[in-house]
Amino acid sequence: MEFSKFLNSSSKLNIILIISFSISVNSFILFPNINNGFYVLFHLTLIYLIFYHYHYYLYFVALIYGILFDIFLLNNIGAHLITFISLLILFILLKKYLIRLSSYQIIFIYFITLIILLLIEQLLANLIHDYKFNMSSFINFFLISLIIFIPTVFLFTKLDK
Amino acid sequence: MAPKFQIKVFQISNLVKNFTIISIVTLSFLLVFFSKSDLYLINGIKNLSSSIITPITRFISAPINVFSNLVDEYNKFRSLKFENKILQEEIVRLKKWQTLAIQNSRENKVLKKLLNATDNNLTLIKTASLVNRNDTIYSKLINLNAGNEDKIQKNMSAINERGLVGKVIDTTSNNSRVMLLTDPNLSISVKSISDGIFSLLTGKGDGKYLVSAFIKENKMPRLGDIVVTSGTAQIFPVDLLVGKVAKVEKNRFFVLPFVDFQNIDYVQIVISK
Repeated sequence: MEFSKFLNSSSKLNIILIISFSISVNSFILFPNINNGFYVLFHLTLIYLIFYHYHYYLYFVALIYGILFDIFLLNNIGAHLITFISLLILFILLKKYLIRLSSYQIIFIYFITLIILLLIEQLLANLIHDYKFNMSSFINFFLISLIIFIPTVFLFTKLDK
Repeated sequence: MAPKFQIKVFQISNLVKNFTIISIVTLSFLLVFFSKSDLYLINGIKNLSSSIITPITRFISAPINVFSNLVDEYNKFRSLKFENKILQEEIVRLKKWQTLAIQNSRENKVLKKLLNATDNNLTLIKTASLVNRNDTIYSKLINLNAGNEDKIQKNMSAINERGLVGKVIDTTSNNSRVMLLTDPNLSISVKSISDGIFSLLTGKGDGKYLVSAFIKENKMPRLGDIVVTSGTAQIFPVDLLVGKVAKVEKNRFFVLPFVDFQNIDYVQIVISK
């Protein structure tokens, strides 16, 4: 607990990013949903960082994690990297409109962004690398997102105090 | 003088920021564009990710791995009594088969001598152990602890004691990546042992079954037929065990692979002689 005082919320969120990345790229045969859950958590954390802790170091974060996710999960660089970088660019363009929204509207957009991100990644993997679009996998991600979204937002707001 | 200096610093830092952002965006698109090429940079990134990042991610995810292993051990312990009973029955059955197999083996040797036939053996390149697996999200991949330095190359076949495991799709100096048979993006040309029906199989996506993508002359194999690699595509050596026909539908059939993909510890990288 003493140690956590030295870390600001942005650093804590970055630690969550590292942990969720590590778990999502190491498959556990008995618990495949753990991988999927942490994969969704990674996306949730990244979007939260972009929405609430925007800083230009996030471009490096998006670049590194995008490349690593692509290499580990697809063996080709593409889908994740494009999605993460595009999300950052889109955020810059739409920032002035997002600021005007209420907290409930922001939460709704946060969830929609997560689902669109997961969908676009699958579509790009299909378009760029010919990976078959797996609807059941997407539905699984959607259900996991529904389950973990509210607790995660609650956790993040607690981290942000 | 002071305010002037401040304005200058602000402008430079903004310029650096914008330049960095544009550089990262450009680099990203260049990486995507050249990702399928054999560029030194792409290979370097892949090498780095398998040799440095994989151990780090394994270390971080170790607690979950330990928990997963504990649950696995507990499940095995629970079914120990039942498994013991099955194994005892299996031993009796196998002893009968062993006697028959020894007789057949002798007969086979004699017949081969008479026919002056040569064995269609495989050349073993390397036996490698599994480092980690990425077979839950997107593709079904496993990483092995042997690579270019062990003479492993792209498109070599990976087998284990049960049959064909997959194909090497990427190698670095000390690691290689194998795409499992169950991946929907991998196709294998096979033939059924009893009828010699040629077909193409791909992974169904559920990680369990293989499904036919093309059947030559639309002839359907019988339920329970054993399927082996045909060797026609010249990627996999001929006659490697693939699986058993588990379900036959009007226009397609399903094959249950012999390899238990959930329990792969070691694989052999082979090529045909």
